[in-house]
Amino acid sequence: MSKPSAPAKSNASGANASFDDKSKSKDSRYANIVAARAISDVVRTSLGPKGMDKMIITAKNEVIITNDGATILRNIQAFHPAAKMFVDLSAAQDIEAGDGTTSVVVLAGSLLGAAEKMLEKGMHPTIIAESFLKASAKAVEYLTEMSTPIKLQDRKTLERAATTSLNSKIVSQFSTLLAPIAVSAVTRLLTPTSTNVDLRDIRIVKKVGGTIEDTELVEGVVLNQNVVTSGGGPRRMEKAKIALIQFQLSAPKPDMDNTVVVNDYRQMDKVIKEERAYILEMCKKIKKWGCNVLLIQKSILRDAVNEISLHFLAKLKILVVKDIERDEINFLSKSLGCKPIADVDSFSEDKLGYADLVEETTKAEASIVKIMGVKNPGKTVSVLCMGGSHVVLEECERSLHDALCVVRCLVKKRALIAGGGAPEIHVSRLLSQYAHTLKGMEAYCFQAYADALEVIPSTLAENAGLNPIAIVTELRNRHALGEHNAGINVRKGLVSNILEEEVVQPLLVSTSAVELSTETVSLILKIDEILWSR
Amino acid sequence: MEPIFSAEGSQEKAEMARLTSFVGAMAVGDLVKSTLGPKGMNKILQSASGDGINVTNDGATILKSIHLDNAAAKILVNISKVQDDEVGDGTTSVCVLASELLREAEKLVMAKIHPQTIVEGFRIASAAALKALENAAVDNGSDPAKFRNDLLNIARTTLSSKVLSQDKDYFANLAVDAVLRLQGSTDLEHIQIIKKAGGKLTDSYLDEGFILDKTIAVNSPKRIQNAKILIANTSMDTDKIKVFGARIKVDSTGKLAELERAERDKMKAKVAAIASHGINCFVNRQLVYNYPENLLAEQGIMSIEHADFEGVERLSLVTGGEIASTFDRPDLVKLGHCDLIEEIMIGEDKLIKFSGVAAGQACTVVLRGSTNQMIDEAERSLHDALSVLSQTVRETRIVLGGGCAEMLMSCAVEEEARKVAGKRALAVEAFARALRQIPTILADNAGYDSSDLVTRLRAAHYDGKADFGLDMNNATIESMHKLGVTESYKLKRQVIVSASEAAEMILRVDTILRAAPRKREAH
Repeated sequence: MSKPSAPAKSNASGANASFDDKSKSKDSRYANIVAARAISDVVRTSLGPKGMDKMIITAKNEVIITNDGATILRNIQAFHPAAKMFVDLSAAQDIEAGDGTTSVVVLAGSLLGAAEKMLEKGMHPTIIAESFLKASAKAVEYLTEMSTPIKLQDRKTLERAATTSLNSKIVSQFSTLLAPIAVSAVTRLLTPTSTNVDLRDIRIVKKVGGTIEDTELVEGVVLNQNVVTSGGGPRRMEKAKIALIQFQLSAPKPDMDNTVVVNDYRQMDKVIKEERAYILEMCKKIKKWGCNVLLIQKSILRDAVNEISLHFLAKLKILVVKDIERDEINFLSKSLGCKPIADVDSFSEDKLGYADLVEETTKAEASIVKIMGVKNPGKTVSVLCMGGSHVVLEECERSLHDALCVVRCLVKKRALIAGGGAPEIHVSRLLSQYAHTLKGMEAYCFQAYADALEVIPSTLAENAGLNPIAIVTELRNRHALGEHNAGINVRKGLVSNILEEEVVQPLLVSTSAVELSTETVSLILKIDEILWSR
Repeated sequence: MEPIFSAEGSQEKAEMARLTSFVGAMAVGDLVKSTLGPKGMNKILQSASGDGINVTNDGATILKSIHLDNAAAKILVNISKVQDDEVGDGTTSVCVLASELLREAEKLVMAKIHPQTIVEGFRIASAAALKALENAAVDNGSDPAKFRNDLLNIARTTLSSKVLSQDKDYFANLAVDAVLRLQGSTDLEHIQIIKKAGGKLTDSYLDEGFILDKTIAVNSPKRIQNAKILIANTSMDTDKIKVFGARIKVDSTGKLAELERAERDKMKAKVAAIASHGINCFVNRQLVYNYPENLLAEQGIMSIEHADFEGVERLSLVTGGEIASTFDRPDLVKLGHCDLIEEIMIGEDKLIKFSGVAAGQACTVVLRGSTNQMIDEAERSLHDALSVLSQTVRETRIVLGGGCAEMLMSCAVEEEARKVAGKRALAVEAFARALRQIPTILADNAGYDSSDLVTRLRAAHYDGKADFGLDMNNATIESMHKLGVTESYKLKRQVIVSASEAAEMILRVDTILRAAPRKREAH
């Protein structure tokens, strides 16, 4: 009598009543699992280097082609609450690690599948949830054990990790080009003590034209905008003195509502003359400080420049770029070493930035404004991203972003592990060994968790057109024989030592995928009802 | 006959009224009962209007958000709200206990016992229960080391029934540290909780000082030591004349330019007035536009714009500064102070940290987690723990949890029932049964054999092992003292008091009158 049996088989009326109640919670639990797994099935096929892409038509009729899990999920407008939680899960992985957004959802789906089977056997969901959390802590431990620490000076290794991430994207054939870009971009921002990198200091400028091969890391700054040439102004300026201004060179417009009352045509003349004089005055003031490149912040209230001011500025040989967004100001002032100027009277020498050359060039039919040889540049990086169409360009940017995140992960946690499904099989094997030392329901849950981890290698194999069962069993076998780094070599379609193939990923991507997916699965398992609220 | 009530009003009498109340109250009890205890389940609250979802097992949150159209059910929702305000936790328990009391009362009413007799019995019972609870309470308030341990145990017990259960030790420490910083105040405003998706739950941390989820303006100094802060709520564009449709007529562009210049000068004067306070940090609730931002930066003043109502209010609370909106008399404005203002990075976002603030007890908890639902729920759990702890710092007595206190009270009530003569005794017994339902539900939720466990627990209590309760991890009974499952005395007391009051109130109802809904005129 000391060991109580599982749910109410007793004949007390209270116990029976609560047993009936549970049929409802069972239903909603299964509904949650089904919905969440549907989401994970959507992205399943885009996992790995041979993963497929998805075409998404958004509500605004824009077309997105991507195999980035976070992007797909962000755009599919999930309705079911549990499905929404999976969307959030992938977003969280995006924030934490930036890569592995597909794996995290696939893994969570597989864990839910395992949980479903155990629920059918009559196990209590909280027990499953708790054991899963314990298993994930153990898994992270194993992952950390098998990782190899790296040094940030080791460019080769960093590049290898970036390449692995890029290989699963559309831009995979350009990975040899993009990986070094990603590595240099991040390492340039590093200080000896930094443990994190703000990716906002890396600007990716997208220009349609040319091919992805034209993508480059620019020494200096690239602008999103083009030079305004309609007034006949210069397009190239050596020894540039740059002013970043936040006021406008057009007819005055106070904040108060106003009307200019014109009674006869002489007065009209006067109005026009005064406007010219007003603008000329401003342009002269700007020139007085020796400024010859003008970057103008966009204003919603008022034109940044008009024909008159453009004309004057052209005469004064000032290069003009307009429509600088407000959120770009921070980046530009940091990278050009200048300070924004909000009023024509508050010009001063220290607010201007200096550069050897500001030039608008045409490269593969796209005109690009580059600012080169900046004096006292801040720690920022500009990457010029080129591509044949918007769709390609966007995907290229996303892939580059993922690669940047991979490098950043290595800055945060300086360790690498093998890719190609090797860590998952390794952890799965160790976990199931560990499960044998446990007893009770926990042992069962650990075993199920270990099996669920195999979804990563088997999906990798499946997507590459290999036989998942053959591959996974061979992997298991090789691992049991002590080859801890045996993984799926997707290019050759066989199992081999994955480290020799230089397929590596940051430890943080794997650990955070395991932790986040388990956390979400536990939360979903503990739900027994969906209520409509106000 | 003329109708007495207007067409859409209605009346339910005696039997029917009572039935409606019982059914409503029990439905609410059954709704939240599965969330009780360490193995309780969560519920998804799906908003009917928007697409927001909430995952929670906090009784008050669930009850607050659902639609109810039953008077008795609404009373239960109210007591759970009161519990939330008073103690912050035990919101589910109070609701479940009240509904169990009513379930028992229904049986007695069926057995033709007058509701007033039941009420009388319930009163005797609750008095006996409270007395037993008080006798069992332990006070370690005078011994700081022991008391801290008590607090840790309470936090752990509270958190074990929430989403944070896996990391309860971590968060219990965090919550205790946060509450002890308050030095006896129950003003949880001093503890700010910032939620950032990404990372895992144990990446959450407690930070001294105050964190504002805003960015420092371009160009401002990014780090200030010995900050003197002016907190303001003022519009930093030109002060417009607040007369509707005010406009100016001019006859030339030159005048317009002059006007523009005048506006700028006015702004400049305002900035000068602000700077004359001798500050090096300016925080505004509203936008600070480019021009003033530039001017302030020139004087080495950090400007932070758009800090929100909540932001400025908390900031004024923790830094001791007043929120100013006129700047003519610098000598009258109280400035805020802190040792250091700097930018920090959490996840991908940059935030501003004010450390060494004037109000030394202030601190910030940064919560991380995989999904927004997770973090929201973590926040609710932590808030519960914090409020229980802050109450315990005031009322230092503690009792044992895990169904132990309930069983203890149930036994005491049964004891009392033997001494009561008349039909009232039946009601007293019923009260004891209702109390025993709490451990029963705890066991049921965990999937254990409740009938077996609860009877064993009762036997243990009659055997003199008054500290025994349910060991929810090993499906057995164990000394709660040994396991460190403790709860606040005030919480338990409040649960009994509110639940029996609510049950009594509902029992006394014999007619439900429903007023005709107010007509909305169609436009």
